[in-house]
Amino acid sequence: MKLRKNLQEVITGLKTNEEFKDNIVHWQVIDEKEAKIVSFPDQIDDKIKQALNKRGINGLYTHQATAFETAVSGKSLVAVTPTASGKTLCYNLPVLQKVLEDEKTRALYIFPTKALSYDQKSELNEMINEMEADINSYTYDGDTPSNIRQKIRQAGHIVITNPDMLHSGILPHHTKWVSLFENLRYVIIDELHIYRGVFGSHTANVIRRLKRICQFYGSDPVFICTSATINNPKELAEELTEKEMVLVNNNGAPSGKKHFVFYNPPVINKPLNIRRSAVLEVRKLANEFLKNKIQTIVFARSRVRVEILLTYLQELVSKQLGPKSIRGYRGGYLPTQRREIEKGLRDGSIYGVISTNALELGVDIGQLQVCIMTGYPGSISSAWQQAGRAGRRHGEALIIMVGSSSALDQYIVKHPDYFFTRNPETARINPDNLVILVDHIKCAAYELPFKKGDAFGKAEIMDVLEFLTEERVLHQNGDKWHWMNDAFPASNISLRSAAQENVVIVDQTNAPDNRVIGEMDTFSAMTLLHDEAIYLHQGIQFQVEELDWEEKKAYVREVNVDYYTDANLAVQLSVLEVDKQQTFSSTTAAFGDVSIRAMPTIFKKIKFETHENIGSGPISLPELELHTSSAMLSMEPDIFEWDENRIEQGMIGASHALNYMIPLYVMCDPHDIHVYPQVKAAHNEKPTIFIYDSYPGGIGLSDKVFENAAVILLETKSMIENCSCENGCPSCIGTESASKTAKSDAKRLLDLFCKENHASNAGVCE
Amino acid sequence: MSLKNKLNRMKTHMNLEPVNNPSPIEEDSPTVNTDIPFYDKWLENGTVSFHFDDDYCFIREVRYPLNHKHGLYSFSELKKIVKEWNQTSLAHPLSAKGVKSEELFFFDTETTGLGGGAGNTIFLLGYAYLEGEEVVVKQHILPQPGSEIPLYQSFLENINYETLVTYNGKSFDWPQLKTRHTLIKEHVPKLPEFGHFDLYHASRRLWKNKLERVKLSVVETDILGVHREDDIPGYLAPMIYFDFVERKNPEILFGIMKHNEVDILSLITLYIHLSRKILQIDGYTEESMEIARWLDYLGKKEESVETYQRILEVGSEEDRIIAGHALAFQKKKQKQFNEALEIWKEVALKGDFHLRIQAQIECAKLFEHQFKDIASAINCSRNAHQEMMRTENGSHLGKKILDLEKRIQRLERKKGSKGRLV
Repeated sequence: MKLRKNLQEVITGLKTNEEFKDNIVHWQVIDEKEAKIVSFPDQIDDKIKQALNKRGINGLYTHQATAFETAVSGKSLVAVTPTASGKTLCYNLPVLQKVLEDEKTRALYIFPTKALSYDQKSELNEMINEMEADINSYTYDGDTPSNIRQKIRQAGHIVITNPDMLHSGILPHHTKWVSLFENLRYVIIDELHIYRGVFGSHTANVIRRLKRICQFYGSDPVFICTSATINNPKELAEELTEKEMVLVNNNGAPSGKKHFVFYNPPVINKPLNIRRSAVLEVRKLANEFLKNKIQTIVFARSRVRVEILLTYLQELVSKQLGPKSIRGYRGGYLPTQRREIEKGLRDGSIYGVISTNALELGVDIGQLQVCIMTGYPGSISSAWQQAGRAGRRHGEALIIMVGSSSALDQYIVKHPDYFFTRNPETARINPDNLVILVDHIKCAAYELPFKKGDAFGKAEIMDVLEFLTEERVLHQNGDKWHWMNDAFPASNISLRSAAQENVVIVDQTNAPDNRVIGEMDTFSAMTLLHDEAIYLHQGIQFQVEELDWEEKKAYVREVNVDYYTDANLAVQLSVLEVDKQQTFSSTTAAFGDVSIRAMPTIFKKIKFETHENIGSGPISLPELELHTSSAMLSMEPDIFEWDENRIEQGMIGASHALNYMIPLYVMCDPHDIHVYPQVKAAHNEKPTIFIYDSYPGGIGLSDKVFENAAVILLETKSMIENCSCENGCPSCIGTESASKTAKSDAKRLLDLFCKENHASNAGVCE
Repeated sequence: MSLKNKLNRMKTHMNLEPVNNPSPIEEDSPTVNTDIPFYDKWLENGTVSFHFDDDYCFIREVRYPLNHKHGLYSFSELKKIVKEWNQTSLAHPLSAKGVKSEELFFFDTETTGLGGGAGNTIFLLGYAYLEGEEVVVKQHILPQPGSEIPLYQSFLENINYETLVTYNGKSFDWPQLKTRHTLIKEHVPKLPEFGHFDLYHASRRLWKNKLERVKLSVVETDILGVHREDDIPGYLAPMIYFDFVERKNPEILFGIMKHNEVDILSLITLYIHLSRKILQIDGYTEESMEIARWLDYLGKKEESVETYQRILEVGSEEDRIIAGHALAFQKKKQKQFNEALEIWKEVALKGDFHLRIQAQIECAKLFEHQFKDIASAINCSRNAHQEMMRTENGSHLGKKILDLEKRIQRLERKKGSKGRLV
């Protein structure tokens, strides 16, 4: 009988096994790190020390000690804490210390999800029990029974909630929380990096409202944030809270030796440059570990993939009775189910878990030995988060990232240096986005009247107050503005929805067991989800059977066809205002406000490989208008002496590639940003590529693109260059182009823009 | 481009409702009476202005003679009923014992929205009380959002009473008043402590089966005999108030003020009516059953037994059986087993399905434990069992049937063993 292999043996096996070794494109070894421990700060209460001692903790990691000292001295801070570095002590210690010093002290913990607040509450309560102190901590969210809400409001030292509940359940009822707001010393924002884009911009405004109410009751809390590794934790924390922050990044937690492997599935279709499916490769790899009972976590990007992989891998334990030791974990599972899985992972009774990014957040599952990512998770920061799931404090760990065919994945897999040396992404928010700002000024006015000269964070609000007065939402009485409406404003405002409305995609393949598989902003839905469109979701083809525009639902069914659809969109793009502009010899780069009016006209069915047009049909949807911010790259039309068609093909290719690459520089999903080329833009009659935010008013993405245009253009150009296809493929300039010159033209265009842009640092583009 | 233009451009992306009939807002909030827009109209409606801290609010006062009849009763009945409360020994949540009729404070508000958030403004504080030979209704009206300091100043200066009487005021009016008071507490007197009679809960106890919704307006028409003429429904209050704030012409608001006035007057009639029911001044009525249950729930054994007894004597056939069943339990507790048995025997014949079964089982228990008559106990149990099996929807009785079968088996064994012993 064959003996089970241990991790070391499996690692050796990978390097030699014919099936795997050629696909390994990079092998990085990250050395182990010793713990940096300091003794407990003198100030720490004996009760806390005693509780920590009971848990076998006799000192603090350096970052925990710094966080404690900073917070008790009254300074706000953001602690950068990788997975499993004991971040909860960074905020629990100062909070518990202050409550012990002054029983009246209150603290508010904000977690992005309910699951996390549940976790934190049990951990905090264990600690409090061991301290034998009379401290109350409660979660306050939608599930809190009404009979204990009163008690929490009066007597909860530590109230654990989420931004949505704060927004609609606590702030509008602040008069019932007087003892909390009068004595609020600490506000904890965990998983800071989640607060980016629309959600972050909303939350920043919720915090403005929170601070305004604190001021009314005479408190000025210290903010303690913890964040995964991102490029700009201090900046993000300061933008979100509008408080000066101390950056704590002296992580003292130990980590074992890690092997980080990039794995690229073999090419199976040379002309189209299509690789073997990442899912199948992951299945093979995971099998290798799981059959040796090595604790392994597999990340997949969608629920569907989780389920597919789970079905494959559970074959290994098909003969096992009772609860399986290989499990799935994703949103949509019941909380009790999730708790059970988390426990099983910690105690080792479960040795395999297939998860969506739900496990990226700080849910405690202990440390596993192997982590496999099915595709690049979308950002460097979340790749490190997922990688952090593997790696015990002692002993080795293996992390394998399996690339998919997408342009971004291929770029990452082929540029290990880029991944290992570059700073992670910058998280952007734009709290002053007018749509978001106006929503929260309404909520804020409902909570407390505005007075002339009042600030709302850094936002300019006088014009907004006057605007809302004209709209009969506020009433001006002397130098104050009062809420004058019968509505409860918070109930109409969701912190998480991207645009005002999204189209929900419903898969009815297994009708009547219909499933929601995703959503899409209305703007993109016009061209991607119209009736009869072929919609690709996680590599699976679906046909749209009906787009119910009124209800914003697209009903799709899985199909297997040899064509894709391409919709013609009649777009009228007008530039309303140029805020920033740089003019070079033959190009200009600008940033400003644009209005986009779009109406889809017809769609074509185009055959794979041959690009033959095999049919078409009309689309009847109403025109949509979007006001947003945009970066604009224009060039002189005659510079290359190409005809319009050739310019257009080149621009389309370049736009495609840009759309793939931008998420590398700005923390966002590819659909948060649109790239749209026009051969003759209305505002300057020149060929122009518009890069605009999908969200009305913009959330700072295109602004960031404008600022970093030179680097983004350069990297996009090199991405196209390095693609092994001949004339363009889905992994670089998209599938639409049938023109032989498109690939090289796109490259030349990007090169031109890059070289002229930031002429001052021309060196960048050489 | 200015931010204003931007705002107007982005309007379609915002959660805003279209503005209807935009009309010019009249300029300048005045500080002197003569500058108050439409002041003559206010005066005509019995309203004066109250000035405080460079701002003002309105106070309206209406007086009614005590012999004025509002619905079933004239207001003079209030004095009588308070006297009754002071004479009875019954302790009850609505008891006015130790309170003078002049110390009751009938209170109702009108607000700019629903729900209990901080931004829901109270624009009208209305109340009524007895003074000498009159009922005085006072209403404090907010002239525009933001003028709450004079509103609460004038209100808090005026009130000095023992007990608040409201309709759903425990969960709505009073907490909302506290909320709005919190926002300006630096500038106005503290809120006094009150006793509080919330007549909504009492009304629910008595009429929840009879009325589809136990709203004050329904109680008024169906129970109290109050008929409103040209009433403006309360749910229009926010819209009407906003319209008034914009146009300043109070005529449309007078309708809401009248509506609030009637609400408050109805509170007086309702308090009188509820008290008469609880004190059973009119003897047996269709509410007697609910009153008896309420007393039972409050632990007023003696009073509830009395009430059950009265129902048993003079009540309707249906009430008599229900009361008898409840009474029999009391009798059993008081060890009056014969009386209890007699009542249950009747209930077992005339009660509804569930009562018949319960009564049979109770008879069985009495036969077994008190009268040591196992044969009769078995008999009663079998009757109950048959009754259960006859019904079509016996499924929800599953556990009860099982329990009963166990009882029968136990009794059979008892009988058997006794038989052998004898």
